[in-house]
Amino acid sequence: MRAYTFTQPRAVREAVTQAGTDTAFLAGGTTLVDLMKLDVMTPARVVDINRLPLRGIKLDRDGLHIGALERMSDVAADRNVRRDYPMIAQALQLSASAQLRNMASIGGNLLQRTRCGYFRDVSTPCNKREPGTGCAALTGINRTHAILGTSDACVATHPSDLAVALVALGTHVHLVSGRGTRTVPLDGFYALPGSTPDVENVLRPGELITGITVPRSMWAANSVYLKIRDRQSYEFALTSAAVAIEWRGRTIRSARIAAGGVGTKPWRLPAVERALTGRPATPDVFESAVRTAADGARPLPHNGFKPALLRRTLVRALTVLAESR
Amino acid sequence: MTVSPVGRDIDRIDGRAKVTGAARYSADYPASNPAVQPAHAYLVTSTIARGSITAMDTVAAQNAPGVIQVYSPFNRLGLRAVPGAGENYAPLEDTQIRFRGQIIAMVVAERSEQARDAARLVRTSYDEQPPRLSLADEPRVPATGPPGVPAPSSTVLAPGVPSIEAALAASAVVVEASFHQPMQHPVAMEPHSVLAEWNSDQTQLTLHSGAQLPHTSAMVAAMRLGVAPAAVRLIAPYVGGGFGSRVFPWFDAALAAAAARQLNRPVMLVLAREQVFTVVGHRSAVDQRITLGASRDGVLNAVRHVSDAAVPFVGYRWMQPAVDTSAVLYKIPNVEFDQRHVMLDVPPTCAMRAPNEAPGAFALETAMDELAVATGLDPVALRLRNYATVAPGTDRGWSSKHLDDCYRIGARRFGWSARRATPRSRVDGQWLVGMGMASAIYPGGRRPEPIQARIQLRDDDTALVSSATADTGTGATTLLAITGAHGLGIPLRRVSSEAGDTALPQGAPSVGSTAAASTVPAVEAAVTAVVAALIQEAVTNPQSPWHGTDSGDLTYVNGQLRGAGRAMPFGRLLTTIGRRSVEATATAQPGPEVAGYHFHSFGAHFCEVRVNRHTGEPRVTRFTTVVDAGRIVNAQAARSQLVGGVIFGIGHALLEDNPLELDTGRLAAGNLADYMVPVNADIPDIDIHFLDRPDPVVNNLGARGLGELGTVGSAAAVGNAIYNATGKRIRDLPITLDKLL
Repeated sequence: MRAYTFTQPRAVREAVTQAGTDTAFLAGGTTLVDLMKLDVMTPARVVDINRLPLRGIKLDRDGLHIGALERMSDVAADRNVRRDYPMIAQALQLSASAQLRNMASIGGNLLQRTRCGYFRDVSTPCNKREPGTGCAALTGINRTHAILGTSDACVATHPSDLAVALVALGTHVHLVSGRGTRTVPLDGFYALPGSTPDVENVLRPGELITGITVPRSMWAANSVYLKIRDRQSYEFALTSAAVAIEWRGRTIRSARIAAGGVGTKPWRLPAVERALTGRPATPDVFESAVRTAADGARPLPHNGFKPALLRRTLVRALTVLAESR
Repeated sequence: MTVSPVGRDIDRIDGRAKVTGAARYSADYPASNPAVQPAHAYLVTSTIARGSITAMDTVAAQNAPGVIQVYSPFNRLGLRAVPGAGENYAPLEDTQIRFRGQIIAMVVAERSEQARDAARLVRTSYDEQPPRLSLADEPRVPATGPPGVPAPSSTVLAPGVPSIEAALAASAVVVEASFHQPMQHPVAMEPHSVLAEWNSDQTQLTLHSGAQLPHTSAMVAAMRLGVAPAAVRLIAPYVGGGFGSRVFPWFDAALAAAAARQLNRPVMLVLAREQVFTVVGHRSAVDQRITLGASRDGVLNAVRHVSDAAVPFVGYRWMQPAVDTSAVLYKIPNVEFDQRHVMLDVPPTCAMRAPNEAPGAFALETAMDELAVATGLDPVALRLRNYATVAPGTDRGWSSKHLDDCYRIGARRFGWSARRATPRSRVDGQWLVGMGMASAIYPGGRRPEPIQARIQLRDDDTALVSSATADTGTGATTLLAITGAHGLGIPLRRVSSEAGDTALPQGAPSVGSTAAASTVPAVEAAVTAVVAALIQEAVTNPQSPWHGTDSGDLTYVNGQLRGAGRAMPFGRLLTTIGRRSVEATATAQPGPEVAGYHFHSFGAHFCEVRVNRHTGEPRVTRFTTVVDAGRIVNAQAARSQLVGGVIFGIGHALLEDNPLELDTGRLAAGNLADYMVPVNADIPDIDIHFLDRPDPVVNNLGARGLGELGTVGSAAAVGNAIYNATGKRIRDLPITLDKLL
């Protein structure tokens, strides 16, 4: 950890004024502090935003509003979230450990860095950490890496469970910077690695997430987040599925589906959604609808199982949701 | 009448200190002189696997804030290699790189953060050579092994049988299977840490550093430093896990001590978690091939067990997976094992968690399950049919063996009769349900060398039992007190105990599941000795009411001396004669009574798993283990040991793996998120049952060792249950969901 300047502003305006290039905002610290200890992140300035008034979990006519500094555990325990947006509570509860969830913030969760072992090891090349040095994961140990949205420069998996659920539900992210506020859809917030894997999202230097809004919908209450991994807690997803269905009797009126553990960003699956629309909830329909889920996948030497596992994860999630109706 | 604590559920006497944070682990110790704060060291490790250092730029590190000194091959500490005790080289003494993650420099600074920051500024240039890393491709070496270990290859043939091949060819049913197990790490919770402090004239060194063998660790550190063993005292009453990773000290202790000597100041060195994965030893990767030959009704005729285990060029451990499994578990007329090695440029190995037996039993007990399938026999019946009463090729039996009852009782407790032999025949919703079982066997006898204990009786009617065994979390300190209370016939609450300090009499090493069986007789001997010393005081001290009495007229019963018409608690006697305490040290060593026996502990594991039929995750849902380990000293601690062992077995089967990059020698995992051991959510209630039948030979109490037993065979039980659930036989560990899709 290198020397850095440290401030604790009380106002959002003050925070974004203090921020600039080479600044890291500190919320729960569960990613940032780790990566600073490992020398992976070496910000010149750290702005502690925990005193900012970015709290609140509020449900109104427009949907669910969550302040960026709300802790994962508080959101997961919120009664309205559990009732109206079960997949959000489930995605949170299946993340990390209880201790981490007590610290980690919602804004920070959306910005958490990949668990790619090469990104976290400064003795190896990594285009995301040090642009132009190469990607060690392509020829290294890559069982947990992404198969969708990858490039020759980067195959790092997006680590967040929450973001997968939020992308499925059409969430918007509220941002503030010295130039004012703006709101962007979460799906468009994330960038594919392409040739610039160090650019992970549309945030401008010093721009801060203040909160999110998950719109009201006919499907969010009928939703599930299914996470598949080797051990049953404290592990990132090999695959995951966020599935929400609007029912008309036994028929699927519409579906919202995203996948985790497979993409370089939370992966929306519009083709699967379309294939389910207007169809009855039967095993055959599920099997056939997920056939295209991994189209375009580029498996690596150690993760060739992921396309099949993704399809099976989706079928299982759909089955669970249909059975719990 | 005092009720003996032996065999009861006894809370750890240090439990409160541990859960309240009062217990001091090595890095928690302050320097003895508050005016002299310790300097903090941080290691720099190599980023190539083989070659040599051509240059090292330490100027920036040396000039970084707070830095006191940077040690490297170009500014050496003069440490010596001690062959036979850990690695065969000394770090920083030459420029050779032997594995990736090797210590190549050490920065010492005022604060640990400063040392860590400066360590990142060291720039190293290498002359790199292609590392030899492939277990599959590098040459097999006929094993020789270090002196003193059992023969690495052996053939036992029945009269008239010309070869193991002939025996297999003559068998009606032959099962042959190959197994692969990856590198595994002990992952003790406490990272390896040391506080090294010399006295003012640098004649005496105190090390606070967790050790499974306190005296041996102090001695090895002394030899590496070139000082007399008596000059080093090691103090580590609390050790945050051993699992084989603290059998010999790594070079952390010697490096910190050498720097402390040069700087004339205490030095603390705490390994970063990622450094623990390469500076500290691991269990080597191993390939095994087992061939079983049997009659149609499952009577074994021949077993061949061939293993190829990775051995690091730097040492120190040579895995022998057949010696205490295939060579002893079943009645087999013809048996051959060949334990070969493959020399690789990988970090050092160590004797991790049933080091030979866990891998050996996974292979053998999986192959036995395959034989059960091939012969159509129930796996329990197959094992009973091949039950050994003497070791193959010998007429040597066991001191005590009730494995047959473990199988029968375990099957009943678990509900084995509900198992269906045909795979995939039980489905519960999304889940395929299967049952599997396997045997456990592990040496359970005493250490051959003398083991000491000391007892002090005090004038307040309390006793202190001392022995420099190590309590790595096992409950050894509690066992000292239990055994002392039992022998002295006084309540446990009046007995305290201490361990983990080389100023105490040399105790039993915390290795090989031998500490309990070896400690018990030493404490018994100390009881006898301290009672004799007490009686001697009673008859010779002029103020004693028994002054002048013949010592033969006095007896000690339950804390009292009796004789000549009077009785007195030892505390009152000591008060009367004006003595604060009386003490005695005694030694115990196995004698001729143990000759001619094998000493093993035994067990039977029964496991239920569920495998998701969509996504393949294997989940253990029930587990029963029945154990024959002689008499149980502390039922609670023993159960904890067995539960822990079974959890290791579940991790062994389903999770533990550290993939090695074959071109760079880099290990994929360097933290406890990426190197996976089971978490609570992976573990069901584990039902442990002890037969609790005293061993008539091993020691007076009849208590054998059991520390590592639970981890032997439990992985096979999981794998066998997965086969029963899915019909898939996975011989390549760990059994992850992608192999079951």
